[in-house]
Amino acid sequence: MAYSFRFLDDIALADLAFEAEGDSIEELFRSATQALLETLADPGTVATNWERRVMKVEEDPAALLFEWLSDIVYWKDAAGVVFHDAEISVTQEGPTWGLVAVLRGASVDQMTQTLHNDVKGITKHLYDVKQEGARWSARVVIDV
Amino acid sequence: MTLKTEMQVNRITNEVWEIPVTEKPGMVVPARIYATPAILHSMDRGVFDQVTNVACLPGITRHALCMPDGHWGYGFPIGGVAAFDVATGVISPGGVGYDVNCGMRLIRTDLTLEDVQPKLDRLMTELFRRVPAGVGASGFVRLNRDAFDSVMTRGARWCIEEGYGWHRDLARIEEGGCIAAADPSTVSDHAVGRGINQLGTLGSGNHYLEVQVVSNDRIFDSETAAALGLTGQDQIVVMVHCGSRGFGHQVASDYLKIFEKAMRRYGITVKDQQLACAPFRSPEGQDYFAAMNCAANTAFANRQVITHQIRAAFAHVFGLSAEELGMELVYDVAHNIAKVERYPEGELLVHRKGSTRAFGPGSPDVPRDFQKIGQPVICGGSMETGSYVLVGTDRAVQETFGSTMHGAGRTMSRAQAKKSIRGEQLQQDMKRRGILVKAVSMSGLAEEAGVAYKNISEVVDTVDRAGITKKVAELRPIGNIKG
Repeated sequence: MAYSFRFLDDIALADLAFEAEGDSIEELFRSATQALLETLADPGTVATNWERRVMKVEEDPAALLFEWLSDIVYWKDAAGVVFHDAEISVTQEGPTWGLVAVLRGASVDQMTQTLHNDVKGITKHLYDVKQEGARWSARVVIDV
Repeated sequence: MTLKTEMQVNRITNEVWEIPVTEKPGMVVPARIYATPAILHSMDRGVFDQVTNVACLPGITRHALCMPDGHWGYGFPIGGVAAFDVATGVISPGGVGYDVNCGMRLIRTDLTLEDVQPKLDRLMTELFRRVPAGVGASGFVRLNRDAFDSVMTRGARWCIEEGYGWHRDLARIEEGGCIAAADPSTVSDHAVGRGINQLGTLGSGNHYLEVQVVSNDRIFDSETAAALGLTGQDQIVVMVHCGSRGFGHQVASDYLKIFEKAMRRYGITVKDQQLACAPFRSPEGQDYFAAMNCAANTAFANRQVITHQIRAAFAHVFGLSAEELGMELVYDVAHNIAKVERYPEGELLVHRKGSTRAFGPGSPDVPRDFQKIGQPVICGGSMETGSYVLVGTDRAVQETFGSTMHGAGRTMSRAQAKKSIRGEQLQQDMKRRGILVKAVSMSGLAEEAGVAYKNISEVVDTVDRAGITKKVAELRPIGNIKG
C-alpha cells in the first residue's frame, strides 16, 4: 500500500492524534484524509449522495494539508454530513501548491452509519509535514 | 515517584506549589500549581511546560496558575488561569480554549430516585430523542443569519424571548446569560456556517447530559445545599456539559491565524505557536474579544435550549409541567472564557481555560439569591463516578483571581482508552451498576470511561482544603447521554 496512517497513543491526552505517510505528497494527503474520515465515522457505512468539489491554493504543502483537513471539518458541520471518500489531486506550480478534491458522503444518520468522534478542529499543536527521500509524512492533532 | 519535570517546584503549602521565574528564560512571574503531593506527581509533563510558557506572556500579573484537574492542553494547560493587565497585557485564544464558554449547567427537580427509577429507561430515551448528540447533529431551532446574530449578542436572553425557558433562569446564569461586548461583525462566515444549525446540541467528546441523584450522606454543607435548592432526599438533578460547538472552535481557529501574523507586527514572541496572542487593546485583540463573546453567548443559548428540551422530556414522561416538577436552574457557569475583572492590581483580563469562576459571598457578580453563600461552582466527574457542587470563596478572589477547578481531568489518552475498553461492555457494566447510558458512538463511549480520568474526589478535596472553593454536595449518576 502506498499510504498508511496510525493513531498515536502518547500525545494529545484529551484529543486524538495521528501520523500519516505516503510515497508521494498526493498519497500523504489521501492517507491523512482517510485518518480524518475514519475519526468521524466508518466510511464503509456512509453512502455517497452528497458531493462537494474543493479547490485550494497555498504557499506550502503543510499549509495546504492543514486547510484541506479544516475544510472537511467545516463541511461536516455546515452540511451536517459524514464522508465516504475523497478524490484528491495535489499539484505544485512554481512556489504554490494546489489541491483539487471531490469530497463524497451523506447526511448524518445515526441509524445506518457507525459514527465516531465529532471533530471540532485541526490544531497546529505538534503539527508537522515533512519529506524524507520520496516518503512524505505528517503528524496531526485533532481537537474532539 | 518523581515529578514529570526537571524544573524546581517549591512547596508553598500542602496544596500550593511554585515554579520560580529562574526555571525558564523569559518567565515574567512565577507559576503556581494547586495540587496535593499525589496529584502533583500524577500531572503530565505538559502541565509544567505549559504553565511556565504562560508565565512568559507579556503583561501577565502575579502568577500563572494551574488547578488540580490540570493536564496538557493547546498552548495553555487545561486548568490554566492567567490574568493580564488590560493596558499592557495580551489576549490569547489558547488561554480560552477552542470550545469557547464550554461550561456546566445544573437543573434541580422535586423528583426523587424512587419516582424516577421505574421510568428511567423511558426518561433517558426521551432525553436522547430531544437533545441531539454526536457527529454532525443539528438542533430543532432553525435560524437565519439575522436570528443567529441575535443569538450571538443576546445569548440566553434571546432564548427566553423565543420561549425557550423562564425569565428567572437568567438570574441563575453567569453574566445573566448575555455578555455585552459581543459584535457579530467580527465573526467569519465560516464560523456562522458551522454554528447556525447547532443550537441545542450536545456534541461529543467529553460533553454529556447526566441524570444524577443527591443523597443525604453526600451533602457536606446542608445550609448551603438548601440555598441552592438541593434537598438531599435522594433528589434527582440534571447536569449538562457542553459549549459553543463548531462555532466557538472556528472563532478560535480564525483568530489564531490572525494573531500569528499580528504577533510579528507587535514584536511578540511566544514559546508555543498555540499561545498566539495580541495586545488586548489592539484592533486584533479587541476583535477577538468581541468574537469570543459572540461564541460565549451562543454557548449560553445552547445550554438554555437544551434545558428547554430537558424540561419538555421530564414533563412528557412524568405527566406534570416542568414548573410542577420544580425544575429550577441551580446555576450555569463557564469554564473556558476570558473576562475583564477588577482586582487590587486594577482591571485585569482573566483567562480561565478549564477553570471555573469562584467568587465569594457578597460579590456583586454573584446572583442575589446566593449573596450569602458565594457563587455556585459545578464540577463534572467522569460518567462512572460522581460530580460536585461547590461554592466560591473570598480566598479564591485573593489567591487565584476568583478561579477554581472545573472537572476531574484526564490521565489516559483517548487512543489508549479505546484500546483497553470496549464501549458495549462498558455500557453493560454501567447498567449493572445502576447507570443507564445512551450513546451515539460506542468508541466515543469507551474513550470516556472512568479509568481515563483522575479521581474527582481527590481534586475536589484539594480545592476545598486550599480554601479556594468549599464543597457542598456530591452528585451520583444514574443516567447519561453521550455523543
